[in-house]
Amino acid sequence: MQGNQAIGDNSGSTTAGRSAGSRSARRRAVRRAAAPVAVTVAAAMMLAACGGAKKNTDDKGEGGGGTLVVDTSFSLKTADPGRTFEPTGIMVTRPVYDTLLTFANGDVTKPVPLLASSYEASPDAKTFTFPLRSEAKFSDGTPVTAKDVVFSFNRVKNLKGNPAFLLDGVTATAKDEHTVVLTTAAADPALPFRIATPALGVVNSKTVAAHGGSDAAGADQGDKAEQFLNGDSQGSGPYKITKYDVSTEVILTRNENYWGTKPKYAKVVVRNVPANTQQLNVLSGESQISLDMSPDQAVKVKGQAQVLQQPTPTTAFLFTNDNPAISPTTSNKDFQEAVRYGLDYKSLLDVAGAGSAQAAGIVPSFFTGALDPGKAIQRDVPRAKAALAKAGLNNPSVDLYYASDVTINGINFGDLAARVQANLKEVGININLKPAPTQTALDSYRNGSEAMGLWWWQADYPDASDYLAFTPGELVSLRAGWKAEANPEVSGLAQKAKTATSDTERVTAYKQLQEAMNKTGPFMPLLQPAQVIAANNSVKNLRYNPIWYIDVDKLG
Amino acid sequence: MNATRLFLGDRLGADRTPSPDDDAPRRKPRRAGKSPWRSPLAVTGLAIIGVFLIAAVFASLISPEDPLAQKWPKYQSPSGDHWFGTDQLGRDILSRVIHGTRISLPLALLLVVLAMVIGTVLGAVAGYFGGWIDMVVMRCADLVLAFPAIILAMAVVAALGPNLTNAVLAVVIVSWPTYARVVRGLVLTLRQSDFVQADRLLGASGWRVLAVDLRPNLAGPVAVLAALDLGNAVLLLSGLSFLGLGAQPPAAEWGAMVNAGSANFDAWWVAVFPGAAILLSVLAFNFLGDTLRDALDPRTARAIRK
Repeated sequence: MQGNQAIGDNSGSTTAGRSAGSRSARRRAVRRAAAPVAVTVAAAMMLAACGGAKKNTDDKGEGGGGTLVVDTSFSLKTADPGRTFEPTGIMVTRPVYDTLLTFANGDVTKPVPLLASSYEASPDAKTFTFPLRSEAKFSDGTPVTAKDVVFSFNRVKNLKGNPAFLLDGVTATAKDEHTVVLTTAAADPALPFRIATPALGVVNSKTVAAHGGSDAAGADQGDKAEQFLNGDSQGSGPYKITKYDVSTEVILTRNENYWGTKPKYAKVVVRNVPANTQQLNVLSGESQISLDMSPDQAVKVKGQAQVLQQPTPTTAFLFTNDNPAISPTTSNKDFQEAVRYGLDYKSLLDVAGAGSAQAAGIVPSFFTGALDPGKAIQRDVPRAKAALAKAGLNNPSVDLYYASDVTINGINFGDLAARVQANLKEVGININLKPAPTQTALDSYRNGSEAMGLWWWQADYPDASDYLAFTPGELVSLRAGWKAEANPEVSGLAQKAKTATSDTERVTAYKQLQEAMNKTGPFMPLLQPAQVIAANNSVKNLRYNPIWYIDVDKLG
Repeated sequence: MNATRLFLGDRLGADRTPSPDDDAPRRKPRRAGKSPWRSPLAVTGLAIIGVFLIAAVFASLISPEDPLAQKWPKYQSPSGDHWFGTDQLGRDILSRVIHGTRISLPLALLLVVLAMVIGTVLGAVAGYFGGWIDMVVMRCADLVLAFPAIILAMAVVAALGPNLTNAVLAVVIVSWPTYARVVRGLVLTLRQSDFVQADRLLGASGWRVLAVDLRPNLAGPVAVLAALDLGNAVLLLSGLSFLGLGAQPPAAEWGAMVNAGSANFDAWWVAVFPGAAILLSVLAFNFLGDTLRDALDPRTARAIRK
């Protein structure tokens, strides 16, 4: 999907060597405004939907349970876990390929064991030991061994695909048949969080190798297993892939050999359906779950279906370029303060819709190390006006750049920019809106030539360390002209957060860092958009997971 | 013969514009009350355009609110407070539709005049002088006509950068060839006429022939074409804005407003009212164009009626 490029806005990296495209995958619910196409597709989908409806009652697997139909706007490229990093791909891969660790019940602050029976980190956070469950087996009945884990991890690294950065600096070794040891070059307390990413699902090394899979260096050229994995899944998860079509639908069938608690639904159909049609489908019972409605659409569904509305791990932020060569106005510290306190964060949430939340700091609210909502900046017009006066600026005029064709979880960035413009007008700052198509806007954003920019950052994995990119001299900061030597205090705190190993140390360090960044610097975190999940009332146990939307295997 | 009469008319009465009556045979005087301007369509068209013109001129006086003020709750359905409801940012849609006339009407007029002038001059020159000028101009016109107008306009705006000025420029670029083709055809048929030949023999230059002898004969058809093109221009401009290539936020432009409404069909009023404004203005301009054709170009009008 075109919007994927936009995640590319994250691209480049905090972790050395991450490929430029790595972020491009994780852009969920980012859609190009392509109304005519959408209408055509909608019509086609409605036809398809009519055809698919009958299946709901027919297919009862041997364990009973029926079919679950999930509607989403596809962002899908491959069923090969070693290459997948797209939102839909991650959702589909999750119940097919079990990972060593996972996040239970949508709680991403704590990785819990899945294929591993427990895990242990050394005090220096450089060695991680994972004893494997002996009962775990693949869908063909072969037991899961340490060899499979090492093969899968090495394969991800050597494929050099989008998820490869997750294992940068990590060496996987099989201590014995049922113990995996991961060692890292530097202290890496965030590793368990990355291990829980569905891209690091464990594949059956024997069958994958037999079908051209390779975990050796040069696998990016030598590995031929993608096509095989698109047709036939080789994981140890509760579901198997029985149909895989990147443009229409993916069908998962229950793995009757599953080693853990078997899921209730015998079959899960994930269909590519545009957001407007999803609303109709859930109401008519055509599908059970919709993942892409906007908060404004959700209002109409309430009462007739269950609706979850929660903030996503995406942070929409504004920056004022700190580089005087780009703009002497925006690099002025007092001007930055005026913008920070001139924004009406509550009114921005109104644009984003119910379920969105003000971003207290740059780290999303439900991650370890997030700032308390009480610490969020509140609008203070007199303070903003005073700062503007102190800067010696009288009705300054500044250009605000943004991608005009992007909609994230129902938020049109043009609308958000228009609201920012109205907010700042009230404190005496004139904003000229400079919209551009994503591709063009990304260029000016990446070379750091935007005086002010309205962008977003989506978490690559649920840990605060992903946000060090916003500290002086790092990836995003350079785009905002915030050079390495610009703010020694923030840089020092960032260094402290990076090297802290214990959980409590890390939480304190990241909180301090964000508080400092809320006082000074070019970034103003605005909000986290709302994810809307609407489901038919027959679906039980519905929970939102910030990384893979829903646990299909846990639905009852 | 028609041409002869025109020639005589020109010689005798300097360069007066031929009145519609010139074309109608004098022996059969038209019955009173048959003026095309009195037909229901003409009256409707003029009335609508009149309303839009008043709205455009007095927009800030008659619109109830500031079109850019984001003071109200978003997606309020039409009510006594907001006749047309509010949009996704809580702006008053009635005020925005009224202010939209200030963008759509003057720009449509401007771009039609530009396209008309450029197209007419190029077409006349190509038709009269022929040769390589004709070749170059007409191949350029063919090049433009080979593409669907909106697609070419999109490409032009994409290349120049999305804003209203470039959108107008793009529409001018795609619409001049129509005028050039029509005018060239007319000039080709007229330039062998006796009255042109006579003027040439009297020593008139090519430019004088074009400006004095041919201009009055071209004015009618070109004016008709331009009037019919106005509706088209409004539609193309709104189309570009709908696609995000024309007016940029927060400007109140009809096409952009329809686009905002298409994001949420439940709030039908966001798209319906600006959409209706586009519909009405295009319809009115077409009525006006038809009437103008009946008045200035009765032969075509009669041919169509048959």
